[in-house]
Amino acid sequence: MATVTESKKRTVRINGCVASAQAAKYADVDVITAYPIRPYTATMMALAQMVANGELDAEYIVADSEHSQLSIAHGAASSGARVFTGSSGVGVQFAYELYSPISGSRMPVQMMIADRTLDPPGDFGSEHTDALSTRDMGWLMGWACDAQEAFDNHLMAYRIGEDPRVLLPQMVCQDGFFVSHITSDVELPDPGQVNEFLPPYKHPYPLDPRHPVSHGPQIMPEQGPPLQLERARAMEDSMAVIEEVHDEFANIFGRRYDPWVEEFMTDGADVVFFMQGGHAVTARFAIQHMRDRGVKVGLVRLRTIRPYPTDRVQEVLSKFKVVGVIETNMGLGSVSSGGVLYAEACAALYESQQRPLVVSFMAGMGGEAIVLKEFYWMTEKMTEAQKRGKIEKRTHWVGFEE
Amino acid sequence: MSAIEVQRQLLPILDSPNQGARFYNPELPSSEPFVPGHRTCAGCGPSIQYRMTSKAAGDNTILIGPTGCMYVANSSYLCTPYNVPWAHTQIGSAGSFTAGVAAAYEAMIRKGKWKGAYPNIICEAGDGSASDIGLASISGALYRNHDCLIICYDNEQYANTGIQASSRTPYGGMTTFSPPGPMVPEAKKLYPKDLARMMAAGHPHCYVATASVGYPIDLMNKVRKGLNHKGAAYLMVYTPCQKGFVYETPRSIDLGRLVVECGLYPIWEWDPEKRQYDYSFRPQNMRPVSEYLKLQGRFGHLHTQHIANLQKFANEQWQMMGVELPEALLQAADAKNLVNMAAAEEAVTVAETV
Repeated sequence: MATVTESKKRTVRINGCVASAQAAKYADVDVITAYPIRPYTATMMALAQMVANGELDAEYIVADSEHSQLSIAHGAASSGARVFTGSSGVGVQFAYELYSPISGSRMPVQMMIADRTLDPPGDFGSEHTDALSTRDMGWLMGWACDAQEAFDNHLMAYRIGEDPRVLLPQMVCQDGFFVSHITSDVELPDPGQVNEFLPPYKHPYPLDPRHPVSHGPQIMPEQGPPLQLERARAMEDSMAVIEEVHDEFANIFGRRYDPWVEEFMTDGADVVFFMQGGHAVTARFAIQHMRDRGVKVGLVRLRTIRPYPTDRVQEVLSKFKVVGVIETNMGLGSVSSGGVLYAEACAALYESQQRPLVVSFMAGMGGEAIVLKEFYWMTEKMTEAQKRGKIEKRTHWVGFEE
Repeated sequence: MSAIEVQRQLLPILDSPNQGARFYNPELPSSEPFVPGHRTCAGCGPSIQYRMTSKAAGDNTILIGPTGCMYVANSSYLCTPYNVPWAHTQIGSAGSFTAGVAAAYEAMIRKGKWKGAYPNIICEAGDGSASDIGLASISGALYRNHDCLIICYDNEQYANTGIQASSRTPYGGMTTFSPPGPMVPEAKKLYPKDLARMMAAGHPHCYVATASVGYPIDLMNKVRKGLNHKGAAYLMVYTPCQKGFVYETPRSIDLGRLVVECGLYPIWEWDPEKRQYDYSFRPQNMRPVSEYLKLQGRFGHLHTQHIANLQKFANEQWQMMGVELPEALLQAADAKNLVNMAAAEEAVTVAETV
């Protein structure tokens, strides 16, 4: 059992962006690379100040683009440095070329995402489409719903991604503005706790002149599949490590998260919301209110979307009659003509003996808050479907229907 | 936090009494970070350059290879010609990946996470990477002054993808993206981007130079000067491509000299201390551009006016370096004193070798 030194532990009131910056500082990152785009920029502003103040010894590189940011991160991680970078919205997309090379070369780069709607037209608001569009590139990925969870996720992601059994990059996501720019109490740990939890980064094959290696030589087509299989297995094998690390995190820091899904008031629930990120905070409030009025509604919040916890999602969602997927992302022309979460939830449920009805809600789009009355409206749609034994339609654009 | 001071290497400059002359210096370093056995074409200019460059750098070196010939033709999975650490990066990531490696070593040495002298960090970018898709990333690395050397091995085209025009392809150069035809008799209509000067002008704190495989000692010394310079350095090297230029493979080094002797590839250094160009390099001879053009199938379609245009361009390069032009070269800039390339016996001979 870990010995916790309480001496330097303190609670501060900060927003999600600053919580992420604090996590990078506690992780003693060696190379930081920044390029401005709202809303994640505030993280890099905070880090710039920490470096300027001498609180953190790191190379702070202002890149010429997000593509360069990710390339710098790739080069630095390949050399054996712990790296921190980040982006939002179209910035995430500008760097797209690098996501597969980074995970394919098994470099545990960490990227903070404060998500943002994609253009057109320019919109500062949050939407999960930016990071979700990279979800199959071999990065570990999950959303925090508040600043404390964002801080904790960063530390856990480094520990998971740098584990020699995993060696994969991580996207540590939070909702733009709803998490990134809303202040709340965050407990910052004692540095000793972090040292105990997160060992120094040590890649097994860095670019080191004393032990020459070649990274990424050209391959023949038949040499591709074994490498892809290895990367796929690393993603699968990470699941055991993720569970292990969440346990150890709880032991050292005293905060226990379910690595895959958070269940809120699901006992005896007939209908549940299935969603990611910061809108879950409003959902909890709405659910409490409806429970007081006797509506059997609950919340299942997905904490990790890559690797996708298929078995766990199936096991949990099979307990209910109706599942309402809140998308907060765009999947134009997708299977539900809505977002992308629906398809994966349905696929996870396909082999279940007790399949619930599944309906998709396009809510929280363009950075709009999902307000209480919208949660009530969606609950009503789910309750009606339960009574009818059939959904009315696969996708509802919330706010565009009676 | 007690920061550890970063120790840097200092490489000796090779003796070179007359850098523009044709001679062999037997005192070359014995180190071979880039070994034979790779799959580059016979006479490949970029790989000759690669050997000289890495020899000059020695063993405490990290090489970075953005996509291009020197990625695809050199390394194949489970086979590698590199005796020092090497990493592939994306074609647009030349400067940025290199900056990441440099930043990592600065931080790791300073924080006591890696012990030893700061390695030579060399990026080998083709001209497509350096002049087009990776231009901003290289400018970023030079601007931020990471301690590294970025080399543009300039074969004046995207050769690896099957000979396509880049911003460095010369006026009149035939490529698969700039073929000659009745509507475009000269093939490539645009003049090459003046990349090295752009780098010197925009990043005057950097060591910037041009070189050619025709002058290996000069090339190796510029590599060492670039590496010894604390901060970023940029070197653009003429490296002919027999496949794309269409010439007889033993003539790579000849072309490397002719291009300089014809004034089409000015050799110079930018001194970041004095903030001025050094134009003291002089080839042994000065020649009309036709002597360079006629050896290459890619110019076989040119008419007298196009050759005159190229001579005019070369003359401007000489003048920029403060060289007084002999009457013969001034004459050669007039189309009426020239013959069509297609009519030249040499061009036909060369074209038939392909």
